[in-house]
Amino acid sequence: MSKIFALTKKELHSFFSSPIAYIILIVMLSLFNVFFFLIIDQNREVSLRDVFQLMEFMLVFFIPLLTMRLFSEEKSNGTMEFLLTSPLTHTMIVLGKYFSMLIFFTLLISLTLSYYFIVEYFGEPDPSSILSGYLGIWLEGAFFIAVGLLASSWTSNQIIAAMVSYLILFSLYFATSFTQYVGGSAEHFLIQMSTHTHLENFALGIITPSDVVYYLTGILLCLVLTRLSIDNRLWQ
Amino acid sequence: MVKQISKNFDSFQALNQVSFEMNKGDIVGLLGKNGAGKTTLMRILTSFITASSGTVTIEGDDINKHSLTIRQKIGYLPEKPPLYGDMTVQYYLKFAAEIKGVPKNKRLIQLAKVLEECDLEQVKQKTIATLSKGYKQRVGIAQAIIHEPKLLILDEPTSGLDPMQIQQVLALIKNQRDQRTVLLSTHTLTEIEQVAQRVIMIKSGRIVLDDSLDKLLKNKDTSQSQPLTLEQVFINLHQHQASDNTSQTPESTRLKVSDE
Repeated sequence: MSKIFALTKKELHSFFSSPIAYIILIVMLSLFNVFFFLIIDQNREVSLRDVFQLMEFMLVFFIPLLTMRLFSEEKSNGTMEFLLTSPLTHTMIVLGKYFSMLIFFTLLISLTLSYYFIVEYFGEPDPSSILSGYLGIWLEGAFFIAVGLLASSWTSNQIIAAMVSYLILFSLYFATSFTQYVGGSAEHFLIQMSTHTHLENFALGIITPSDVVYYLTGILLCLVLTRLSIDNRLWQ
Repeated sequence: MVKQISKNFDSFQALNQVSFEMNKGDIVGLLGKNGAGKTTLMRILTSFITASSGTVTIEGDDINKHSLTIRQKIGYLPEKPPLYGDMTVQYYLKFAAEIKGVPKNKRLIQLAKVLEECDLEQVKQKTIATLSKGYKQRVGIAQAIIHEPKLLILDEPTSGLDPMQIQQVLALIKNQRDQRTVLLSTHTLTEIEQVAQRVIMIKSGRIVLDDSLDKLLKNKDTSQSQPLTLEQVFINLHQHQASDNTSQTPESTRLKVSDE
């Protein structure tokens, strides 16, 4: 466990040593704040439901920028050889990197918790629906990070890693848009695959086992595939 | 112990039935032209890649069964030092100590030890990206020995350094003799002569020479009655094996040639 922690610490150190972390943090928070103000002003509701939906859309754009360097940079710098010849299991390497971005994302989301107190100032929001909304957006971010990590393990080129992540995340996000062209089980499949479907319940204050299982399965699947990608040196 | 290691990359055979043993405290020079298979062999020894066939054991542990244990016993410096440019020397070495399993109560002691041994004390607070190539190489060696490995593998550690830096790195390697076994790859023969006790020469993925350096250099060239240099041995071996027949090693060198 201490080796995973060491890797996580190293990732966060590298991330915060560059301006990227601060730029992403500032840009995302600024956009969240602007849209929060616009949505609250327009809806006149003491609810964050629409804010969560918008956050989801923005995560599709921003998470690949966070994750694209995770493995790609190690490969292009030659430090992947250092990690793979150290007494670390591949699972440790994958988890160390994953947790670092999860911590960064948690920090980002926690900085928006003030929204609850702002809406509370204007009325009486339902704390449980806001809490479940935050849980949903956190799970979704955790899933997106796992997708980005997987894409980064496939290539030594950061741009390609980001593009592949965008392709996967947009497909998941817009899956419901294609339901009009299909029917039956294919339609059901697309609805169930869409991240939008699952976050909607959380944003409404409904936590269902199927939604939680969807995110957890997605995270686990991506982490296992990332490990397999490292095992098989797929980028080579 | 390396036993009958072969490695194929699709139809290309990079290593062919390579076998040798190393004893504690040996400094072994691994020689060969570019593309001979040196780096492939080192990458197999460090578990970075797996062999197509054959086995590697270190102190009884098989690399295929106990890869983590083996990696704990190995320190490795690849041809390009694996450094994080944004870290300070001290931070990087602390990180290396952590992931290489140095116990928490020994990390600072080990850090101080390698900083002194590799003469990095004065640059420990500097960012790695700002260091000269010689310093970077020493940081690379420091990370490779911070966990007190039994076997140190160095892939062309003097590549791209100026003569002064080369001497510093060679002195550092020589100092490892009492503490661990060293496998050093280079194609600069004078470097091998300075530090190694034994030479393994690889050609087209096969070991074509494996002998002690003293024995090699004591052999006289019968025509000139002069001591051979390692360079002459190397050139002779490659010239005489132009037909790729290992049995045609020059008799004058009286080399032990592998039978593959």
